[in-house]
Amino acid sequence: MFWDGFLVTASVSALSIVGSFLIGVIVAFGAVSRRPFLRKAARGYIGLFRNIPFIVQVFFFYFGLPEIGVYIDAFTTGTMALSIAVGAYAADVLRSGIENVDTGVIEAAEVSGLSRFKIYRRIILPIALRVSLRPLGSVFINLVLTTSILSTITLNELTGNAKIVASDTFRPFEVYFFLLLFYCVLTYLLSLLINLWHRRLNRFMRGAE
Amino acid sequence: MIEIDNLHKKFGDTEVLKGVSLSIAPGEVVSILGASGSGKSTLMRCMNGLAGLNGGSLLIDGLDVSKPRELREIRKRCATVFQHFNLYPHLSVLDNITLAPMDVLGRKKAEVEAEAYALLKQVGLADRADAYPGQLSGGQKQRIGICRALAMQPRYLLLDEVTSALDPEMTGEVLDVLAALARSGTTMIFVTHEIAFAREISSRIVFLDDGVVRADMPTDRFFAEDGGYGDERIARFLAKMRNK
Repeated sequence: MFWDGFLVTASVSALSIVGSFLIGVIVAFGAVSRRPFLRKAARGYIGLFRNIPFIVQVFFFYFGLPEIGVYIDAFTTGTMALSIAVGAYAADVLRSGIENVDTGVIEAAEVSGLSRFKIYRRIILPIALRVSLRPLGSVFINLVLTTSILSTITLNELTGNAKIVASDTFRPFEVYFFLLLFYCVLTYLLSLLINLWHRRLNRFMRGAE
Repeated sequence: MIEIDNLHKKFGDTEVLKGVSLSIAPGEVVSILGASGSGKSTLMRCMNGLAGLNGGSLLIDGLDVSKPRELREIRKRCATVFQHFNLYPHLSVLDNITLAPMDVLGRKKAEVEAEAYALLKQVGLADRADAYPGQLSGGQKQRIGICRALAMQPRYLLLDEVTSALDPEMTGEVLDVLAALARSGTTMIFVTHEIAFAREISSRIVFLDDGVVRADMPTDRFFAEDGGYGDERIARFLAKMRNK
């Protein structure tokens, strides 16, 4: 029972981390774009989704949209809502990383003839990630914890399952204590992964004066 | 052939270039001198498309820098070495050098890498191919910067105050590399404060003053008593530089 819930939580988390990262990258580059329209749209996106409680967004997608004929299952709704909402946070973190990239380095890439896209992918993003990865890690850990809210839209992930088990067994203390441990382990593993990645991205800084 | 005709460039209300006309033929080694604020770095930024033009024209091999499609072609022929090196900090020395030739010119990895090693050897850094920029000294970084530019096999090499950010003892190692290059027949355009060096390696001096070309003459003539020295502003500039 717990294991099923764990699988749901883990897959929603993994998919949403990928989703929110992709959205974050696109929106962050929009936010620093030279085109006023893109810049406004991206900044509007960040502003909008950071200013609505996540539970309200999920309710809107899951209970609101069917009213106008859009039905999406709980798993997909949860993954989408998390990607969209956390994408705004990821974008904001990435934006500050991107703004910190030395303009001289970008100019060197420009005059060498690299395309705009290649400059973003090969030069700006990896350099920005180097500083953004840690705060991004906090955002993703928060994402994993936020998956528990999806129990309110009938998704039986860890917390949803725990509720069922607790009411079946009348042993809330043991059940929720176990649940607490589970989340701890999950997010701890995630932070380990992020540390590894961070070290890898910064490997070239070793020996720097 | 670089043809600059009546080039104007403004930043806000300040006009930095006020009608610069200049042409540079293949194989020439030209130094652009001038006091700070005379517009020489801006002129260079116009040549590689980092700064747009506000008037006049700038053609390189007949291609117009102000047209994006033609600028792309210009950038394959024109390489720049920067004052602050601007190496890619997250890439190894080798990747710094090979990225653009592979990606922009579409050349094969093995071929480009072999060439990169040869360039590194030329500048005395053959053993640093796997190092990262953060592990190098300023002089080493600038020599890598030069390798990165040369790996594009450019027809024109733009050098923007390439020794200004270096300690005196490191300046020498970079200038040695450049002197060898000047003898090899690459077209080079220097923006520089190194008067002695400009005199030694360039065939022609362009002196910018307050956004216009004040003098454009062969090096010998520029440093002759009745040439550049005959011009009071140039004489004052040279005297000031010598006293530094």
